[in-house]
Amino acid sequence: MNLNVDRLCVSFADAHIVNEVSVQVKNKQFVGLIGPNGCGKSTLLKSIYKVIKPREGEVLLGDINVIKANPKQVSRKLGVVGQFNELSFDFTVQEMVMMGRTPHKGLLETDSSDDYRIVEAALAKVNLASYANRSYNSLSGGEKQRVILARTLAQQPEFMILDEPTNHLDIKYQLQILSIVRKLDIGILAALHDLTLAAEYCDYLYVMKEGRVVAKGEPEQILTKELIAEVFDVDCEIYRNPVTGGLGIAYLQAGGM
Amino acid sequence: MQTATLTGNEPKKSLIHTRSGFLAMTGVLLIIMLLSAGAAVSFGQVEIPISQSYRILLHQITGIQIGDPADLASGSFVDIIWKIRLPRVLLAMFIGAGLTLCGTIMQAAVQNPLADPYILGISSGASLGATFAILVGFGSIGFLGQTGIAFWAFAGAVGASLLVLMLASSGGKMTSVKLVLAGMVINALCTAFANFIVYFANNAEGIKTVTFWTMGSLAAASWDKLPLISIVIVLSVAFFLLQSRVLNTMLLGDEAAVTLGINLSVYRRAYLVVSALITGVMVASCGMIGFVGLIIPHMVRGLVGSDHRRLLPTSVLCGAIFLIWTDVIARTIVPNVELPIGIITALIGAPLFMYMLVKKGYAFGGKS
Repeated sequence: MNLNVDRLCVSFADAHIVNEVSVQVKNKQFVGLIGPNGCGKSTLLKSIYKVIKPREGEVLLGDINVIKANPKQVSRKLGVVGQFNELSFDFTVQEMVMMGRTPHKGLLETDSSDDYRIVEAALAKVNLASYANRSYNSLSGGEKQRVILARTLAQQPEFMILDEPTNHLDIKYQLQILSIVRKLDIGILAALHDLTLAAEYCDYLYVMKEGRVVAKGEPEQILTKELIAEVFDVDCEIYRNPVTGGLGIAYLQAGGM
Repeated sequence: MQTATLTGNEPKKSLIHTRSGFLAMTGVLLIIMLLSAGAAVSFGQVEIPISQSYRILLHQITGIQIGDPADLASGSFVDIIWKIRLPRVLLAMFIGAGLTLCGTIMQAAVQNPLADPYILGISSGASLGATFAILVGFGSIGFLGQTGIAFWAFAGAVGASLLVLMLASSGGKMTSVKLVLAGMVINALCTAFANFIVYFANNAEGIKTVTFWTMGSLAAASWDKLPLISIVIVLSVAFFLLQSRVLNTMLLGDEAAVTLGINLSVYRRAYLVVSALITGVMVASCGMIGFVGLIIPHMVRGLVGSDHRRLLPTSVLCGAIFLIWTDVIARTIVPNVELPIGIITALIGAPLFMYMLVKKGYAFGGKS
């Protein structure tokens, strides 16, 4: 499923947070969105998944006009993993993941054995198969985030948005979550913090600064020391990692220090 | 997904989490509720043996005679049970169910385990309406003079909740924090107006009525009051049972709910309006009875979890049973005096609530 974001603008009061941003995700690519804090990437994603209403612009997911469509129709195709949040009420892990089936369920429909199997498979995929009856609130941050990922998997989406899903997670779980998502073979748009991870996992990158896309392209081509200096205000050297063969970034010093 | 047989590696569940276990528990609670209702008519200033109460009820309802036909058809026991106590016990049952339902729904709607009709200011609106009707009234203004306390309590409840909703959704999105704050504001405002009226009222009898009314009482129960309240509560329980999935996603917060296809602000508004209607009907018929909507859902969550498909039926039944027996206590604890039931629910509810706070270490912002 392809995502086509066309000249999206979001403003709060007089502040233009996102300015005419266009993003395309085609052919089941893993597309990354990078940029410094406050550059508008989270706002952009939220307006794609219908939490924020954009001022102008259009979002097409396949042939669904996301901004006009009702949330249920969108949620059958689009899964979102956001930053985990605390709940005032507790659920078991299984109940939590089962809620991923909500978009596919009618008013009176009960959970079928298929639903249970989907939930079980989703939990197995995130390595939490034995956690089904644990209480969600008793889990660690990394475990909670994996439960949320399992819930999104249970949604069986055809497109997935990750809104900085690996914040506060151990490196093991960061890698684990990104690998699971990458193997899904669906289109993905992800806001990521870590540039090296972005370079490793993404097929294509959009770089945002002050609400605009300032660069886009394949990671190897756009992640240059000039771009990083300009966008993130950090001096660095780019090298080829001798062990992995991937892109390496050696940060030297924050600009202006 | 291909169908395949469920294998044995499904995680083990506790008994009440299996479908049959849960149905059995619901059935048992239903039977306990009905037996409680039957037993509760025995208690009061005139003690009637429980076996005789059951026989009288059975005879009145189905016509089956067990034992001496003479004490079944006539006598003061029959009148006491059938005309006075049974409507009251049934009212207690419905009000208990309704209060618990409202508490559960409001807690989900504002994502705060502390919410109930009191916190959201709905009861104070009802109270203001009733105070106004009792102490000021519309005696000289034609048809308005005909309307009773009940109507004004109801109008107050609905008015207060509309104000709370308007206040909470001013400036864009309605959030749970804004709702709770708006509830506090309306609560303070209504209480102030009500106190103002009481302070200047030159009507000792009226003030006594107001006081009694704000403490809650089921003493005014009668058969002709039951149809409205029972229909409203049965229908709203059925309505919210159908909404269980939405209620579940509500507990996840607005953002997660949208990604699961549910636009909470629409549902939240609808649920709060329905709860206000139920609260209005209940407060109108029995005054303010606190703590039931707060305490019962809390306890039942500890037993069956937060999934509303299990939580709602269980807590509604437990609420009904709780209020039936609380009313028995109110009628019998002090000989020849009937205590307002609101006092008893608070006396039972507050320590229970304290115990739960200490035991579970609830932190209301989130972590527990």
